[in-house]
Amino acid sequence: MSPRRTTSGGSIDRRRTIRFTFDGEAYTGHAGDTLASALLANGVRLVGRSFKYHRPRGVFSAGIDEPSALVTVLKDGVREPNIPATRIELHDGLRVESQNRFPSLAFDFGAINQLGGRLLGAGFYYKTFMGPVIGPLKGTRFWMFCERFIRRAAGLGRADYAPDPSRYERMNAFCDVLVAGGGVAGLMAAEAAAKAGKRVILAEQEPETGGFAKWSNETIGGKPAAEWAKTASERLAALDNVRLLTRTMVWGYYDGNTLAALERVGDHLARPPKGHARHRHWTIRAGAVVLATGALERPLVFPGNDRPGVMLAGAVRRYAGEYGVLCGDKTVFFANNDSAYQAASTLTKAGGHVAAIVDVRPTISEAATALAAEAGVVPLTGQAVVETKGGKHITGIVVQSFDAATGALSGDARPIECDCLAVSGGWQPVIHLASQAGAKAEWDETLQAFLPPAPNQRWSGAGSFLGQMTTAGALESGRNAGLSASGKKPSRARLPEVEPSPLEIAPAPIFEIKAPISATRGKAFVDLQHDVTADDVRLAHREGFVSVEHLKRYTTLGMATDQGKTSNVPGLAIMAEARGISIPEAGTTRFRPPYSPVAIGALAAERYGNLKPNRLTPMHDWHVEHGARMMEAGLWHRPMIYGAPGETVEQAYIREAAAVRRSVGIVDVSTLGKIAVKGPDAAEFLDRVYTNMFSTLAIGKARYGLMLREDGIAFDDGTTWRLGEDDFLMTTTTANAGPVMQHLEYFLDIVWPDLKVHLTSVTDQWAGAAVAGPEARKVLEKCVIGTAVDNDTLPFMGIVHGRIDGAPVMICRLSFSGELAYEVYSGAGHGLHVWEALMEAGESFGITPYGMEALGTLRIEKGHVTGAEIDGRTTARDLYLDWMLSKKKPFIGSGLMDRPGLIDQNRIRLVGVVSLDGQPLGGGAHIVEQGSLDALGQSIGHITAFCYSPALAKYIGLALVKGGKAQHGRRAFVSDPLRKRFGPVELVSHHFFDPEGRRMHG
Amino acid sequence: MLISCPHCGPRDLAEFSYQGDATRTRPEPASTDTKAWHDYVYTRPNPAGPHHEYWQHAGGCRAHLLIVRDTLSHEIHSVALARSANASGARA
Amino acid sequence: MVERATPLGADFRPGSYGDFADGVGVTLSEPSTGTIVEATAWPGHEKALTAALGRGTGLSLALAPGAGAYRDAKAAAFNIGPGRFLVSGKDEGLVDDLARAVSLETGTITDLSHGRTALRIEGMATEWVLAKLFALDFSLDAFPVSAGRATAHHDFFVQIQRTGDHRFDLYVFRSFARAFAMALRHAAQDVGYAIK
Repeated sequence: MSPRRTTSGGSIDRRRTIRFTFDGEAYTGHAGDTLASALLANGVRLVGRSFKYHRPRGVFSAGIDEPSALVTVLKDGVREPNIPATRIELHDGLRVESQNRFPSLAFDFGAINQLGGRLLGAGFYYKTFMGPVIGPLKGTRFWMFCERFIRRAAGLGRADYAPDPSRYERMNAFCDVLVAGGGVAGLMAAEAAAKAGKRVILAEQEPETGGFAKWSNETIGGKPAAEWAKTASERLAALDNVRLLTRTMVWGYYDGNTLAALERVGDHLARPPKGHARHRHWTIRAGAVVLATGALERPLVFPGNDRPGVMLAGAVRRYAGEYGVLCGDKTVFFANNDSAYQAASTLTKAGGHVAAIVDVRPTISEAATALAAEAGVVPLTGQAVVETKGGKHITGIVVQSFDAATGALSGDARPIECDCLAVSGGWQPVIHLASQAGAKAEWDETLQAFLPPAPNQRWSGAGSFLGQMTTAGALESGRNAGLSASGKKPSRARLPEVEPSPLEIAPAPIFEIKAPISATRGKAFVDLQHDVTADDVRLAHREGFVSVEHLKRYTTLGMATDQGKTSNVPGLAIMAEARGISIPEAGTTRFRPPYSPVAIGALAAERYGNLKPNRLTPMHDWHVEHGARMMEAGLWHRPMIYGAPGETVEQAYIREAAAVRRSVGIVDVSTLGKIAVKGPDAAEFLDRVYTNMFSTLAIGKARYGLMLREDGIAFDDGTTWRLGEDDFLMTTTTANAGPVMQHLEYFLDIVWPDLKVHLTSVTDQWAGAAVAGPEARKVLEKCVIGTAVDNDTLPFMGIVHGRIDGAPVMICRLSFSGELAYEVYSGAGHGLHVWEALMEAGESFGITPYGMEALGTLRIEKGHVTGAEIDGRTTARDLYLDWMLSKKKPFIGSGLMDRPGLIDQNRIRLVGVVSLDGQPLGGGAHIVEQGSLDALGQSIGHITAFCYSPALAKYIGLALVKGGKAQHGRRAFVSDPLRKRFGPVELVSHHFFDPEGRRMHG
Repeated sequence: MLISCPHCGPRDLAEFSYQGDATRTRPEPASTDTKAWHDYVYTRPNPAGPHHEYWQHAGGCRAHLLIVRDTLSHEIHSVALARSANASGARA
Repeated sequence: MVERATPLGADFRPGSYGDFADGVGVTLSEPSTGTIVEATAWPGHEKALTAALGRGTGLSLALAPGAGAYRDAKAAAFNIGPGRFLVSGKDEGLVDDLARAVSLETGTITDLSHGRTALRIEGMATEWVLAKLFALDFSLDAFPVSAGRATAHHDFFVQIQRTGDHRFDLYVFRSFARAFAMALRHAAQDVGYAIK
């Protein structure tokens, strides 16, 4: 048995021994322990080094408020730093390291910072490094140099670079009533709501519900409180309409009663089962919320209050009551309120020894005096701790007479030996969620604490969250909150019986003992995690950072991982005193989510690794099997090239493009956006959205169309096919399928609701294969039945229906490559079948599958524009598509397209570019009239697309250049300093190849 | 944040996409009044308080909604299908 | 007749996966849907459309948002938007029947038989798995049998019909089907799942 473990009592399982290591040393604990309770049971007092001064620190609290005992957990080869030891459930194989020390915890070089403590006050880094440049050792650059070293010396634990192998997941939940907090009040609320027939979720951040009842040593309904809580919890768990979530912290309260919670599913297991999450992030949409989040104890601020062994009184009580751990052999309590007396009583009952109770109040209640007597001591009233003794652990304290009214110390300083100092400065309700929900907290003079505001979302409060600091209050307010959340009136039914609590709940308004600070006495800390002292707060005041928000940012008070759970109110109180105003006048900061740190992995959940789903065409597997190198085009995966062995990308696309010009090629165009436009007003609608006319289009014909945005800038292009009088198939560019759909839906819903037109995305309905090249018709003739494909039956822009190897197809003769070409559409489920039939039919013609690179090459040779040119800045005129702007009708964009700035001839406009030095061009490279690689010239435009043209045997490109056509025949330079490319080019027409279009009309 | 789609019920914000200010008026299609077009496309009041705006329930029924949302508190005062709201002249 | 290829790929093969030591929590399958169409009524003609769809499928469809009807192994339909329905059936010929049943005065029919893929998830843990992906209330009260919902999971647009107490049919765009099946499988790891 460990030296500080009691032989009985508490809820740990003494029959189960659990082994763990701390800084490499082996220890044992019991099932039900936290790392903190197990370390304390083993007599380990020094647990970490502080953030700035590297002062020795121990376990300070027993819960989520822990500021000091932060450790790094090593699991599955991953380091997870800054985890409070109080939040780690002990399990076999747990490996933990202390933090922020070098070379070891007991002997730490960084502790030298303590000697420079006066230099390292609030704002030290800003003043030293970030000020105006005076001489060489200031300014941002110097800061950036020093920052690395400072960051190494000051800081928390170290994360590592190993990928996190854990699994995280998200979960959505809906309920009528969400109860946040599973203490006595929360259990009562959940039960009341459940009995009212509501769907209830109860979330408790700890492994077991019960809260305070787990260690209070009280009785509820004639049973030990812990047992009552356990039974209540089991009753809830058995109900179908209740979901009981333990290890689940509600950490965010958002608009619309949406709350975020984190369930730590697997942290307490040596290894989670296969496929199970480590953390589960819950998004809960609740009809109503009951906030039963309890209260946290505040420390008192006095010199040396950070020494290991100085703890919160409530924590000492919990370690004794729940874990059977005595935090000291000789414990002194130091308090401004009665709750410390209950703690002393619990400790005594568990077998601990109370050496003294020091109370700042001149007189105390009879009930408190009686509890002190049970603990065997007479309280030292009207006195205060002014100093702690010891090195890495407390060995004693010094007390002096204290005037609670003036804060003055007087009389002799008297030493008292002790190895644990249990401090209580009153209790602060956990109002974080209520604050996040949007309302401002209200100061309560009696409790000397911020109470939750009036709800501005559908929540109600219960228990100590509301300032109901007794068990009787928790029972009653819990039940009422549950009823109110269920839309019911408060009940008068009998509540479980509890012992009367004659203790005074109001603390004395004392937050700090202002004893003179000295090297031996040590500093008086407010924020233990960020090493912010009471003097730092006063320094901030002297320097003008008096508002709470400034105080926080200047001193970093409350900005550590514990978010100031033990330090916010004391810090505020000290500032208020310095300013000579009351605490509520000094204000409180608004709390923001998360209530306590949440692993980024839990928020990312399944969005890890490949963040976007792969969109695959019906022929995807064929492409991969036939050597395609796939590339991403938005979500789509498309073949870039079909590389033969030993071929470079350039060699492959040149071969593929040349094959199309020479004989025939085939490319997967299934990704083109396709929208069914149907209804009696479909033609009228298309006339309004396209710049050119569609109502005149004959059935069985396709037409190339251009859309503008309302501001007159080009938006998208594509062909639209008239399949029937009231039935059109619109195609869009691959990238714009979604935006075009939304654009059209917007106009139908909002602008022209009177038009009878229906839109349906049919992108995925059709597989598309473009067969292009001089032999394309012969390929179709070989495999298409049910229709002729000759020039009369299927002229340019004509559409026919037929079958290929049994599958229905729709064929449109249109060309992106400039060759005789056909787009063969079939049902997506038949896409592969038709593709293979086309390959077979084309075999004797040497049909060559080609990818995006060759497709791009063919279109650059033809000067066809794509998204690279329709880039959201260019107009139809910039792209020489003026001929598509109908003068017979208005259309979207016609109102603004003629603004002077948009019709200026000198805008950057489409031209062709030919490399004159035989070297490749580069996308995004600038066109300049003069200069060199070193002397960058004035840009007159940029290259949008480039390739090696097998038809021209040159490197060519498309560019947007000032003046456009007027530049044809001019020499210029391509300037690409990033890729170290500078060379001569000629600006030419963008119609490089077959400008008359003889080939595609052939 | 939840938006109560009149067709689908309350749904997560992620299902919706913002579609712009609902107070602007589109000029007659054939209008050549550049100022009117300019105001329609570019001029926005940016109020601090209730704001009429269009949202599309893109990840749901695809309908456009007319929403009155408070730009200070995010509170949504009302949601209606844009088609019916505009037809009944409920637009601001 | 050329058989339609499934978009789900070779990875979607029968077997048990995930943590199935204590039995599988859900079963995934691709139901055979010869016909999937989207049917949309002109404003004011919703009732005529549901009647026409009823004639084509034998289903009786209510007009309420999200309402649906389901006949095991024959046909299913549910509302996916104002005046808009997703209708599916086992037979490939259903698409033509529906095209005949719905006149242009009533509304339009668009064939999506190739364009959408149905995935079925069933079993006791179905709601648990789906709740990981969708911010929808899957409880029976909120989402009754035969009702439908249009929703999204990140980039996946999904139309869902409940076809049993613990059974849902999920309709996704065909090109997304393989990736969506992967997402579904990932979400079902902890409860264990079978592919049928």
